[in-house]
Amino acid sequence: MADEARGAATRTAAAATRTAAAADDAAVATDGTARPQPRLEDRRERTLVIGAGSSGLTAAKNLRERGLAVDLVEREDRLGGNWNIEGSASRVYESTHMISSKPFTQYPDFPMPDDAPDYLHHTQVLAYLHRYAAHFGLDELVELSTTVEEVTPLARGFDVTLTGPDGTRSARRYGQLVVANGHNWYPKWPSYPGQDSFTGELLHSADYRSAAQLEGKRVVVVGAGNTGCDIVVEAAQRATAAFHSTRRAYWYAPKYALGRPADQVSDAIFALRLPLRATQALFEATARLVVGRYERFGLPTPDHRFLETHPIVNQQLLYHVGHGAITPKPDIDHLDGDEVVFTDGSRVTADLVLFATGYLIRFPFLPEGLIPGGARPRLYRNVFHPDRDDLFVIGLIQPDSGQFCLVHWQAVLVAAYLELRQRDPAAAAAYLVAGRDHLDERSQGGIDLIDSTRHYVEVEHADYVRDLEREIRDVEARSAGARSTGRARSAAGSAATPAAAPAEMSA
Amino acid sequence: MSRQPTASDHTPRERVRRTLDWTLPPSPVVREVVEVVPDHPVANRPPLLFVHGAWHGAWCWQERWLPAAAEAGWHSVAVSLRGHGGSGRPERFGLASLRHYEHDVLQTITTLPSPPVLIGHSLGGVVVQGVLERYRSAPAGVLVASMPPVHGLQAVPGLLRHDPGLLVQALVGREVTPRSGTLFGPATDPGEAAEYLARLGPESWLATQQVVLPRRRRDIRAPVLVLGGEHDVVVPPHAVVRTARHFGTRAHLFRGMGHELMLEPGWDAVLRRVLGWLEATLTGDAGT
Repeated sequence: MADEARGAATRTAAAATRTAAAADDAAVATDGTARPQPRLEDRRERTLVIGAGSSGLTAAKNLRERGLAVDLVEREDRLGGNWNIEGSASRVYESTHMISSKPFTQYPDFPMPDDAPDYLHHTQVLAYLHRYAAHFGLDELVELSTTVEEVTPLARGFDVTLTGPDGTRSARRYGQLVVANGHNWYPKWPSYPGQDSFTGELLHSADYRSAAQLEGKRVVVVGAGNTGCDIVVEAAQRATAAFHSTRRAYWYAPKYALGRPADQVSDAIFALRLPLRATQALFEATARLVVGRYERFGLPTPDHRFLETHPIVNQQLLYHVGHGAITPKPDIDHLDGDEVVFTDGSRVTADLVLFATGYLIRFPFLPEGLIPGGARPRLYRNVFHPDRDDLFVIGLIQPDSGQFCLVHWQAVLVAAYLELRQRDPAAAAAYLVAGRDHLDERSQGGIDLIDSTRHYVEVEHADYVRDLEREIRDVEARSAGARSTGRARSAAGSAATPAAAPAEMSA
Repeated sequence: MSRQPTASDHTPRERVRRTLDWTLPPSPVVREVVEVVPDHPVANRPPLLFVHGAWHGAWCWQERWLPAAAEAGWHSVAVSLRGHGGSGRPERFGLASLRHYEHDVLQTITTLPSPPVLIGHSLGGVVVQGVLERYRSAPAGVLVASMPPVHGLQAVPGLLRHDPGLLVQALVGREVTPRSGTLFGPATDPGEAAEYLARLGPESWLATQQVVLPRRRRDIRAPVLVLGGEHDVVVPPHAVVRTARHFGTRAHLFRGMGHELMLEPGWDAVLRRVLGWLEATLTGDAGT
């Protein structure tokens, strides 16, 4: 598998050199193999958005709104991405609800309906995305059941090989690419000694769909992300016994505080713009007040300050711990036959070990190395490629808050940038060059996050939204600069035109 | 088209941070939405969404413009803002702000099949300006005797002269009893005017203050049509002209008319102007 991938990468690299050399030949073959190549369709004037999930939809919408020509492709037969539970890359399960409340989650110009609850169920999210798509005409734009097989970067633009709904291949040449393929779908499996000879069932949360999979089993859930906590709460209600193994102690934030969605309350605290330490102290005090001391529940003391890990929003976990339905456990040391042995030496027999250990970032259709940084992509503001002005990644963030709203502003930024590039390529290039010096700025609000793959694209939403605002204004100011020099030039020719009357009276 | 430099030449800024909306989202209310679907719809036309002004409700559009616009082939929708017309009145309505009204309009927008043209009257014009800033997809905006973009103090001298009682009632947030000549132009039959005045309801104290006192300018990209009445006391012609200049366009003033352009005799000429402008503007932008 790995060798195969590497082979494909070398092959595309070779093809890239060849195509770049013949970039103007529209019918050039992009592959060295004997397979007959479909005719290359020239769409250099257009931008291809890959993926019609929550990110791809808003990318297509915002680019079109600024007058850019867009194509939008989606591998599944329905749009919705992760929220389309029938999709092969969907990682939602039957009980998935939002963990951020509506105002943070919704697209800022298309609010979630007033009659929806504070935290939407995944079916309501999908319905919302469908209404968004219909309202902005994206359902007519999207090409469903269309898979991007391969992307070959050219000196400028990309050759893209696609498989359509009827299985036929086509090749198109695009000017720009917006990658919105999601980052919570490629399961990250841990490897513990004895895992291969474990007699029970091993499952990654990627394949978890409903609590029926837990029924009547002794279940060890590994990982205290929001998924792990959701699943262990379901295990508490449906499984014979539920154990929760976590590497470290976490802060468990409630979904409600003071009778309001807790994220709305915490944003009011953020809005005070207190020093970070004071904010953390305030949150920790609130946690102590609302939940009490975690040690009281047999949980270890968090080894880090509040906000230093991605927040876990779960009000039910401690409740079930208190009822004895969940037994907290430390990290797994090894697996032994039908037993799980923990680092504290305790052992439990288990029918099912469920790894809620997260996801890794993958771009299967891009040649390896096209996006620098490997597992931790090095992109300016999580969006811009350091060297290419025609490749953008959208939605590659893990915010401590709602996602869609932030991705909307990413999309606006890309649209504004493309507008600038059209108007003044030199100014656009200057913007990218300036950004290259800040590739390691992470919009994390000055917080030192615990080093973990889950924090590779973590952003602190208030900080990130401020950064995006600054970027958008920067790009638009450069755009306005380009426009006003153009206007000055044209005004010189028509200086004699009298000013129009300020008002006109009608009978 | 040549024009003088205006405030709108400054780049419209995206307003990204909305701390108030995140920490104190407007509470949900039941909304009255009146919709007239044309018998003979014209393809590729956006819906029209009408937003009434202070004390009014969706009814003020329902009287004339809504059916007439639908007759002309436009899908026409009017919403009553919270506390107005048939919409629910929230607790502490006096503290409902423009932000809450914008929320009501945005919620209505999300139920429409495609991005609508936003048409606002008086205070509703300020609401429309706020929505146009936040919702960039609207193909156009129409400001009908709209309160101006940065403050509404121009309304004060006229009201002091013609109807000081109304000014006081409005500013303290009491029920209003305007004299008919304040809102309606001289051509309106007094009996008819009285009937309309009887339908006026309460207005939020806070929203009134916000509309009159200086406020942040809204950055708008959509093309805007600015209309006013020659005899308007509340939004006098010079205020309409300033609004138009602010948006880099020209004001259209209607002779003999007052503040209620959609109800007074001559309403049909105003609507014709609106629909004609829309047709020209929208087809001009058809490429996008």
